[in-house]
Amino acid sequence: MKPNVLCVDDEPVNLILFEANLNKKFNIITAHNAECGLDVLARNKDIRVIFSDMKMPGMNGIDFIANAKNISPQGNFYIMTGFEVTDEIQEAIDNKYISMYFKKPLNYMAISSEIERVLGQINT
Amino acid sequence: MNAQYDPLQHSFCLISGAELWTFGPLSIYLLNQKCPRDQNVIMSTFRFEYRITFAYLIIGALWIIFSDRAIDAFIGDKDLLTNAQTYKGWFYVLITAVLFFLFLKKHLAQLRRTESELEKHRDKLQELVMEKTKDLDQAVKDLYMKNEVINRQNEELRQALKDLQDTQAQLIQSDKMASLGVLTAGVAHEINNPLNYIAGGVAGLRSVMQECNTQNERTDLFLDSINQGIERISSIVSGLNNFSRNTDKYDEACNINEILEHCLVIIDSQLTNSISVARNFSDKPLVIHGNVGQLHQVFINVLLNALQSIENKGTITITTSAENHAAVVKIGDTGSGIEEENMSKITDPFFTTKAPGEGTGLGLSITYNIVKRHKGSISFKSEPNTGTVVTIELPV
Repeated sequence: MKPNVLCVDDEPVNLILFEANLNKKFNIITAHNAECGLDVLARNKDIRVIFSDMKMPGMNGIDFIANAKNISPQGNFYIMTGFEVTDEIQEAIDNKYISMYFKKPLNYMAISSEIERVLGQINT
Repeated sequence: MNAQYDPLQHSFCLISGAELWTFGPLSIYLLNQKCPRDQNVIMSTFRFEYRITFAYLIIGALWIIFSDRAIDAFIGDKDLLTNAQTYKGWFYVLITAVLFFLFLKKHLAQLRRTESELEKHRDKLQELVMEKTKDLDQAVKDLYMKNEVINRQNEELRQALKDLQDTQAQLIQSDKMASLGVLTAGVAHEINNPLNYIAGGVAGLRSVMQECNTQNERTDLFLDSINQGIERISSIVSGLNNFSRNTDKYDEACNINEILEHCLVIIDSQLTNSISVARNFSDKPLVIHGNVGQLHQVFINVLLNALQSIENKGTITITTSAENHAAVVKIGDTGSGIEEENMSKITDPFFTTKAPGEGTGLGLSITYNIVKRHKGSISFKSEPNTGTVVTIELPV
């Protein structure tokens, strides 16, 4: 069975492309906003890798991760952003809230190898 | 004996010495009393001499004639006459001596008094002059000190004005950069999202083609072209974003060569074919701690000045190197150069040689301040009509 990976983004095209480019190795679960994402996490306790867009209506990526950490403390979180690294993102990295961030346009090869790396760490 | 004696002659002989001496000073004394002191000195001296002589002669002669006659008239005895004449002579001498003494005493006393008064006066005058000189010295000293205070205040005012202008320039700049930052961040986000669609689409297409075995050299060529386009757009957006980034942090890792590349991308549209850019970048990456956005502004300002100074054809040479724990960036151009008299003013806020509306005169002032905030240095070497080399040193 392929490992579950959650992707939260308010833009449907981004979700479709994320799923399409990574579904060979991983089971991609998508959520179109932060609230949905938290729901998914609550129902699927085995999700260890979570990707979130930064700028979303309502809760932004960092706020979502702050809440998600409560539900899934073992999760590895990543931010995807169309901006350069902001102070907020840098702070989240410094506090180890997120493992790293990916700039858009996304490099799916890099994302894929990062997921494999972190899952390998969890399994050993 | 009688025939031999001539009383007139005799008395004249006796009198010619003593009697004349008596009446001379007397007449001088009397004449002197009548001579007012406040008259013209030369005039009174002149009169005095003549009067003395005249009076002396008259009184002396009268005395000789009448005293002898009077004695002759009263005394018949010749021996007694001779004695009387002798006593008369002695009397004459005594009176003359007393008068002489009084006269000299009075005059000398007056002279001495005058002299001592003069001396006192002179001392007083000297004292007064010294006092005045001292006062004058003090006044000059006070004036000098006041002048110094004024000069210092002037200098302070000049500095305050410069600080004010600096602050104004910084305010304008930070205001501009803040607006630009918001704008470019928004634009970057809006561009990066659709760019993500394209990049994701290309990645998806490639894997589909691999699965269906339809991937070949031609499809790779097209997909690679699209990817190159994505990268180009992405780097422009990233450069713009870095340039207008608004943070107050000075501990960001700044890769100097990378920042220069970003800047060249941003100013690329202004680089015409006649201007070539030569890159002599260091082999190893030059990384310093600083503010990424502000360093972009530094190099963009200097690069824009370089390319604007080139009228037709020219070259911009960028050299980077690591020297003594500092990153050294040299940006040279073959442009119009800076006039000698402007060299000291080029970093002043609002100083510009460009026409109104073409330049604010803030570029180098902002650049200078940013470099200073990075504890670095900036220097200019220029020759009119030959070009300028700007050297920026930033400590690692």
